[in-house]
Formats: sequence, C-alpha cells, structure tokens
Amino acid sequence: MLNGQSRTQRAAFLAVSFSGAILLATIGGTQRIHAQSTTQAESLAALNKIVAVLQHPRCMNCHQVESPLQGDSRRLHIPHVVRGTDNHGVGAMRCGNCHNGIGNNETSRTPGAGGKRKDLWQLAPLSMLWQGISVGDLCRSLKDPVRNGKRSGEDLIEHMTSEPLVLWGWNPGSGREPVPIPHDEFVKLMRVWVAGGMACPQ
Amino acid sequence: MITLNVNGETHELNLDPKMPLLWVIRDRLNLTGTKFGCGHAMCGACVVHIDGQAARSCSIMVGEAAGKNITTIEGVSGKVAAAVTTAWQRLDVVQCGYCQSGQIMSAITLLTGNKNPTDDDIDAGMEGNICRCGTYVRIRRAIHEAAKALV
Repeated sequence: MLNGQSRTQRAAFLAVSFSGAILLATIGGTQRIHAQSTTQAESLAALNKIVAVLQHPRCMNCHQVESPLQGDSRRLHIPHVVRGTDNHGVGAMRCGNCHNGIGNNETSRTPGAGGKRKDLWQLAPLSMLWQGISVGDLCRSLKDPVRNGKRSGEDLIEHMTSEPLVLWGWNPGSGREPVPIPHDEFVKLMRVWVAGGMACPQ
Repeated sequence: MITLNVNGETHELNLDPKMPLLWVIRDRLNLTGTKFGCGHAMCGACVVHIDGQAARSCSIMVGEAAGKNITTIEGVSGKVAAAVTTAWQRLDVVQCGYCQSGQIMSAITLLTGNKNPTDDDIDAGMEGNICRCGTYVRIRRAIHEAAKALV
C-alpha cells in the first residue's frame, strides 16, 4: 500500500516535473523565436532606411543600364557616356577623363572621389543594376554574392564603411545633395541588417 | 611647388593644386591652342592628353596632373596624330575651328585604342566633343580616313 502510494506520488511528481520541463522548454523556445523575429523585424526596418540611401541619386545615378544619370534631377549625363567593356566608358569618353582621383573639383563642379585605386569613377557593374527594381529585388541583389561582387554581409559593411566611391555620397561637392542619413548611422543600420540575417521584403 | 611635364618640358610652378589644369596651360604656360568652352567638362574644347589618355583640362585639377605626361595640341606627335591631322586638313574638317583642337585630341585617343572604329564607335567615343558649326559628318569621315591610313 505504502509502496503503491509512494509509486503514485512519484508518478505524480514525475508528471508535474515533465509538464514543467515541457512548459519551460516551450517558454524558452517561444523566447528564442520571439528574439529571432524581433531581430528580423529590426533587420527589415534597417533595410528600409538603407534603401533610402541606395536609391538616392548619389548612388542610383551610376547603378544604371548603359549610361549614368546626373544631378539631383536624375537627368541623362551630359556629355552622354556609355558603359564600355570595363564599365569605365569608351575612347575619349572614359569616366576618369573628367572625374578627379583626388576629390571634387569645385571650379568645374565635376565630382571626384579620392582613393588609392586608379580610375576610381565608373558605372556599377550590370549585376548591380538597381534602377527600375523593387526594394525587395534590390535587397536580394545587394546580398547575393553572385551579383554583389562576391561580398559577404561583413564585406558589405566594410564596403559601405570605407569604399571611397561610397563615401563620396556624403561629400558630393557643391550643387549636389548628400545622401539622407549620416554615415555613422548608415553603417550602424548596415550592421543591424546583417546581424538580423539580411532580411528582405517579399 | 608643382612639377608639371607639358609637351616634354618640365615646369616648376607655384600653384594651388586645385586650380584647373586648363588655367595653367593657357595662362601660365601660354599654350593657347587648348580652348575654354563650357568649363564644366561638357563640351570637349579643352581636351588634352594625360599619360596618353584624353582628359578635360577644365575639370582635372593641376595637383592630379602633377608628375604625369601632359600633351596639348601644340605638342601632339606620332603616327596616329599625323594620320589624324593629315585627314583633317585633306577633308577641310574645320569651319570656325574653336572646338577642333579638342576634337583632334579625342580622335587621336579613339584611334589609339580602336584601329578600325565603326560609325557607332566614333559616335560613342567622340560624343562629348561638341561642334557648334556642325562639322560632325566631316569629323567622322576624317577619322575613317585616318584609320585607313594607319593600316
């Protein structure tokens, strides 16, 4: 009898403990899922702010099909230039023929970005065509190593942190509007987007 | 002090490195064959060669050109230059002439990189050189003729 009671009590205790374990596991799982979905939501929110920079004329004007656009009004580049085989133009109409490697020319107002790389100014490769695509497609293009220059999330953060042509967007010279978010804030947004799994809208 | 090599001559000049190269070429070195047109890299009248590549001297800052080989219309030479200037004269390309030094400098760059340009190649490569007299048809013909002479 005692043995039977003891067994019953032990069974009840085990049942309670098992239920508790399930409950705890469920709560833990819910918390983990909740934490993950929050990060993804933050990632997506960050992306929406990032896109405001990427679709700004300072970036978008050179993420075109064949010829760049120019100015805040996004009109066709004057003089007309074309991509060429290496994205740097053709013949006497190569980007570096006017765009200085040491910065903006405030006399002619021709923009230029400093940097060690020769012939810095160029059209973005066709794989990085951003004109005319949705935010979701732009996002997927941005994180796809096949299209983004074989860059991981960390590489993208580094690219946005230190690439002279990217940094020019915050220092475009007179007569051109800089991109809308301060650079340090933009880099923080990039970190959030990457940490949250580089979330993209459908 | 900036060291500038123009048409094979070295000049030591005390200049603001952000001064447009065109100002230096015309006003300090008195090489006035290179013209000021728009001052915004849009017309091509100021084209010179920097290390063999066409460049718009109104927009290139002299600090960037320092230490490089700069060639103006006065100093241009070689087989391609000879073919181009000969074709230009034979076909009487020039009308008023103001844009023509820039046109010739761009044509030399085009033919140096492309020995047998099509009409489309010429249009794309010369697109930024504007001629108010409208000598484009003769320019295109002269480039084709220069290309044949170089074969």
